[in-house]
Amino acid sequence: MTYQAARHDDEASVNDQRNPFGSSSAGVEARQAVSIADAVRRCRWIAIDLNAASFGFFMVGPSPDRLVPCFDSAYPDFSIGKLIAVRDCEEIVRHVRLSTQPRWWVDDCSDGAMRARFEALSWAASTAPLVNASTGLAFPVHAERGRCGLVVFTGNEMTLEQDALYDIHARCFSLFSAVSRIRPGDIGLTRAISRRELECLKLTANGYTSEEIAGLLKLSVHTANQYLTQSAQKLNAVSRMQAVAKALRLGLIE
Amino acid sequence: MTASAALLRSDTVSTRLASRGDLTSFLMELTAEIGADSYMLVAIGHGEVKNDARIVASNWIFDAIELIGRRLIASLAQGPLTAVPGSRPSALVTGEAPCARDFLSGEEATLLDVLGHAEIYSLALNVGRQRFFILMSASQTGQIEQSALMKAQLKCCYALCQVPQLLVDTAAQDPLSDRERECLFWVSEGKTTDEVAVILGVSSNTVNSYITHAIQKFSASNRAMAIATAIRSGII
Repeated sequence: MTYQAARHDDEASVNDQRNPFGSSSAGVEARQAVSIADAVRRCRWIAIDLNAASFGFFMVGPSPDRLVPCFDSAYPDFSIGKLIAVRDCEEIVRHVRLSTQPRWWVDDCSDGAMRARFEALSWAASTAPLVNASTGLAFPVHAERGRCGLVVFTGNEMTLEQDALYDIHARCFSLFSAVSRIRPGDIGLTRAISRRELECLKLTANGYTSEEIAGLLKLSVHTANQYLTQSAQKLNAVSRMQAVAKALRLGLIE
Repeated sequence: MTASAALLRSDTVSTRLASRGDLTSFLMELTAEIGADSYMLVAIGHGEVKNDARIVASNWIFDAIELIGRRLIASLAQGPLTAVPGSRPSALVTGEAPCARDFLSGEEATLLDVLGHAEIYSLALNVGRQRFFILMSASQTGQIEQSALMKAQLKCCYALCQVPQLLVDTAAQDPLSDRERECLFWVSEGKTTDEVAVILGVSSNTVNSYITHAIQKFSASNRAMAIATAIRSGII
């Protein structure tokens, strides 16, 4: 846990470095708990450096076609999120699952300068437009345990050099790992869970039934079940399956 | 040559990777650019053995790998100093290693130092949902340019995305279909079979059969184990 905290500070400070409002707030920023409003602010700084008109931040769900809007430049309202049609995002969602390379698209009506600018970028390639009649960049981002997201920037005057591409993408990664750590409802729920309950959960995750757990831990089946019910309650889970999933995602069991 | 000029150079040379040879020359170039001596690209298995390192590419000498052992390589790759993309990397200095005592013994640190890995950076790499690790090391401390590392990390992610066939380990691949993955995800979120059926707009028998297939594919004994396996391997 302490390592995670230290790592968190590091990530925050990477973004602070580029804070256009000066470095004086850097220390404060790093210690602040990240909220959606903070994340919007950090995303706006990235957009400013790209000279992008708007941005959108998406989570990639488990469905093949699901791009879940998290926030965008119209926060607390949604602008880009509303414009992306479900059928159009299937390609990019597949891309995000398999690759980390940035993707771009150019409005057909533009003068070609943007196209030339994007084509000069190594590693990035073009894709079908996510938003009709726009020019945009999409950065796939990933966090612990296979969580995926997409950060999208649009605007007709965007500037991006090869060297800055890595930097912008690194900041998107940092932002995503901060946002994916916001798990409302999970905070503080883990303190009371006992060692015995965790043992039962771990054995459940390894495929043992209550009867087998009772045998292994020399308990009665009733007690084993009670431990599992209690741990599910403490994790705010509605079923044994969800309790196992939550415990794994929170890192309580391996 | 400055770090940024060097970066530009390899951007133009090898942005099209196709073969094993391309990967090797890319990694050697990248290693040279940041001022490091050695690289080791590692995948960590999610199977029964927790710390199972699979070396994908490396220019470490063979005996060094054998002496150090896969277990230690796995804990170096996944150590507390490992930097995910977007975070600032910090070096493991094997000559001192005071902060690393809990995963690296004094003897192991000295061994690494003697073998020419005085400072080691561990960088996490994302190739889509899959995660790899690269160890960059140098024989002199301070030899690796820290400022170039973050760019090199992203560049390495991009490059690996072009050669997924060289990275795959058949055991670690996602064996599930889209529907099976969705069903498992919703069950892991605490939904019952009937609720999943409503969410996906199919019958509950269909949902059960998807889940049964997923259980079989993981050779798990029940739903809970299938979900645990899927989460451990980063599928859901």
